[in-house]
Amino acid sequence: MIQFEGVTKTYQSGKQEIHALNGIDLTVETGEIFGVIGFSGAGKSSLIRTVNLLERPTKGSVKIHGKDISTLSSKEIRTTRKDIGMIFQHFNLLNSKTVFHNVAMPLILANTPKDKIKEQVKSLLEFVGLADQAQKYPDQLSGGQKQRIGIARALATNPSVLLCDEATSALDPQTTQSILDLLRKINREYNITILLITHEMGVIREICDKVAVLEAGKVIEQGSVFDVFTNPQQPTTQRFVRSVMNDELPPALMQQIQDAGGNHSIYRIQFHGNSVGRPLISQVSREFNLDLNVLFGNITELQGKPYGNLIVEFIGDRSEINRALAAIRQSDATVEEAENYAS
Amino acid sequence: MLVDNEQILEALWETVYMTGVSFAFSLLIGFPLGILLVVTRRGHLLQNEAVFKVLNVIINIFRSVPFIILMVAIIPLTRLIVGTSIGTSAAIVPLVFYAGPYIARLIENSLLEVDKGVIEAAQAMGASPGQIIFRFLIPEALSSLVLALTIAIVGLIGASAMAGAIGGGGLGDLAITYGYQRFDTLVMVLTVAILVVLVQGVQSLGNILSKRVRRS
Repeated sequence: MIQFEGVTKTYQSGKQEIHALNGIDLTVETGEIFGVIGFSGAGKSSLIRTVNLLERPTKGSVKIHGKDISTLSSKEIRTTRKDIGMIFQHFNLLNSKTVFHNVAMPLILANTPKDKIKEQVKSLLEFVGLADQAQKYPDQLSGGQKQRIGIARALATNPSVLLCDEATSALDPQTTQSILDLLRKINREYNITILLITHEMGVIREICDKVAVLEAGKVIEQGSVFDVFTNPQQPTTQRFVRSVMNDELPPALMQQIQDAGGNHSIYRIQFHGNSVGRPLISQVSREFNLDLNVLFGNITELQGKPYGNLIVEFIGDRSEINRALAAIRQSDATVEEAENYAS
Repeated sequence: MLVDNEQILEALWETVYMTGVSFAFSLLIGFPLGILLVVTRRGHLLQNEAVFKVLNVIINIFRSVPFIILMVAIIPLTRLIVGTSIGTSAAIVPLVFYAGPYIARLIENSLLEVDKGVIEAAQAMGASPGQIIFRFLIPEALSSLVLALTIAIVGLIGASAMAGAIGGGGLGDLAITYGYQRFDTLVMVLTVAILVVLVQGVQSLGNILSKRVRRS
């Protein structure tokens, strides 16, 4: 478990003070994948670096498994760091050393016997799927392979926490997907707590359990990935969600809604959980003597749960429409007027 | 020609001797200083502004004195160390004072080229400052360090030619006393040619070695 309590980081730049972190309170539970998202300069990398004290908080404390790390001596810090693996956007491998040596490095530093290093590195490389590349050098590998080496290296000391600093930001979408799959596998098989920072909402949607949105050194919104994606509160969060959920109304449709004025009844229906599988639209249509015209829709999966999003035009008697809306609200779906959303 | 082959060979040996011995001592002084210059700077492993500033100034002072003046200026010190201020061995003292700070700067430069991310990764895996220097910084910079030291050796060969001014001997001495002062053009051309071959050889060797240690 990682707890941030009032974590503040202030840099001195000339006479100016820069507040990278401004009182962060967050709790990352053991075994979960926690994502922190924000635009560049939001304070993400400062935040993740306070966990292994690559950055020391100016104020506040970071507790790992209940222990405040800012009070540790430098020797104790080094011991603690061996329990916290870290992977980086630019991999940060030793270019002068083989893949084997890179993965072995944390073990060499700990004076592990040679035969044990051999054995362990072999199984780590097998785990990340690069057993046949042991004698190559990093510059002979692709970005995705380098990140796998970074991951193998980070796991060498059997850490309980893995920090991912924009680990997929330098990779193409397909490679990103395979690295995310590997991180999920690590999380499930070893029950390693993962804290990751990213500016890609797709990464959060793909593997995170919880998400916190960082802006100007503050957490502006946090919660389960499902909640934040289906009901984002802050404008910044909404922007991030829209970047991957594609739930913006097409411009032509917007025009149509606006042209129609108040005469048309256009609603957005969000399906959660069980309601996704039900033929809600046709049921409502039959039951209330209405014509329903689906203008736009998509269904995606969030944390293994299906989530649907429809823009529907209701054509018929006003009172019938109101009754229909009430019926929809009774089920696992939410309804709101599309015009409100579009604004 | 006013000199025989034996004299040329002896001069060549003196040059190699002066360069070799002063390089060894300069490295001994310059290497640790170069490392200190890197790790004590702000935001680095062992940040220590006082140490950094003092070192920085001292090295700059030595680097700004022209070698020919340095040679004369430290004659008392040379006498103290070697027992005499004249001769090949006496020339080594000013050469070390010249090349030590130079090497410190070259080492500093090479080590600063190492990707900060690598140092960060080392810290994140719990490496101590000593482990970071010897297991990360130096291996990653090794190829560039070899090239930097090659530059230092070539510089020393050049500087050692001036050592003739205090009776240091060597090819430079030969070129000046016979080639220049006694108008023996052949000696001049010959010594310069030998120096060119020497420098070419050192540089080629440095290039090959640098390439070889790029991956270790």
